Amino acid sequence: MTHGQTPSDADWRRALTRFVTVIPHTRELGLEVLEVTPEGTTMRLPWCDDLLGDSARELVHGGVLAMLLDTVCGSAVLPALPAPEVCPTLDLRVDHFRPAVAGRAIFAEARVVRVTESVVFTEGTLWQETGRPLARGIGNFVRLGPRNTPQGFAEALFAEENDHA
Amino acid sequence: MREGFDNVEWLARTRAEGDVEAWLAMIPYARRIGVSAVSDPQGEGLLFRLDPREGNVGNVLLPALHGGVVAAFMETAATLDLMLATRAPRLPRIVDISIDYLRTARVAPTLARCSLLREGRRMGNVHVCAWQESEAVPVATARLHFVLGDPAKPGA
Repeated sequence: MTHGQTPSDADWRRALTRFVTVIPHTRELGLEVLEVTPEGTTMRLPWCDDLLGDSARELVHGGVLAMLLDTVCGSAVLPALPAPEVCPTLDLRVDHFRPAVAGRAIFAEARVVRVTESVVFTEGTLWQETGRPLARGIGNFVRLGPRNTPQGFAEALFAEENDHA
Repeated sequence: MREGFDNVEWLARTRAEGDVEAWLAMIPYARRIGVSAVSDPQGEGLLFRLDPREGNVGNVLLPALHGGVVAAFMETAATLDLMLATRAPRLPRIVDISIDYLRTARVAPTLARCSLLREGRRMGNVHVCAWQESEAVPVATARLHFVLGDPAKPGA
């Protein structure tokens, strides 16, 4: 992306990939960004045995689902803003529809419902099998504004692949 | 005897012994993020602790713990606390969680205390408060609903 242009969906996919790769927790779990469109952001968490919350029954920890929803909703916030701002989670609600099972990747999708001057309202869904949602999340994020966003945040998101500046 | 939450005898024995370590051993994600439990010096229950490890960071600029990891910690605390606090052995299954992030959670030890606000025949409601330097300055609070499964019934 050259300076001054509106980022394309592909630019945003690279930017959010960078975003979740810089976060130690999601980098170590190998979270991938599949797609970013104006309708929403989609991610995929590959399977690993550390995601279990019950080894005997082979069920995923509910907290993994909360972590994923916080991440996908928080990432979906960025393309919805006029310029990237740091937006911490104000609150998060997760409804668990059915347990996630061992051995399968978990998909996450989130969309921004409304952006106000101070808050971004989002909602997200998780699934392992299409049409069978695991959980729904509702996350609200606070806009810190340009004043409280560190210098170079937007540039870091859109830096070229081999540009370590 | 195969150990696990689905084994009625194992669950009853570990519960009678207050062996939360045995439970944590069956919860890989809680081990990965570094959850432990100690007896509460101020009461009869438990205090839970989240280790401030590098892998739990969610914001490298601040730096701060990942809000989702804090949620996973609080859910683990609520589940274990509930398993000890119910009148009879139960297998809690989470229905929903609502978490408020009050302050930035720094990369420092995080503690949590739980209260079982209601134990019904089928549902339980747990409140969790998490803090770092002082309990009077919480970093997050959460409320959770659980279905209280009967461990003797398959599929509970």
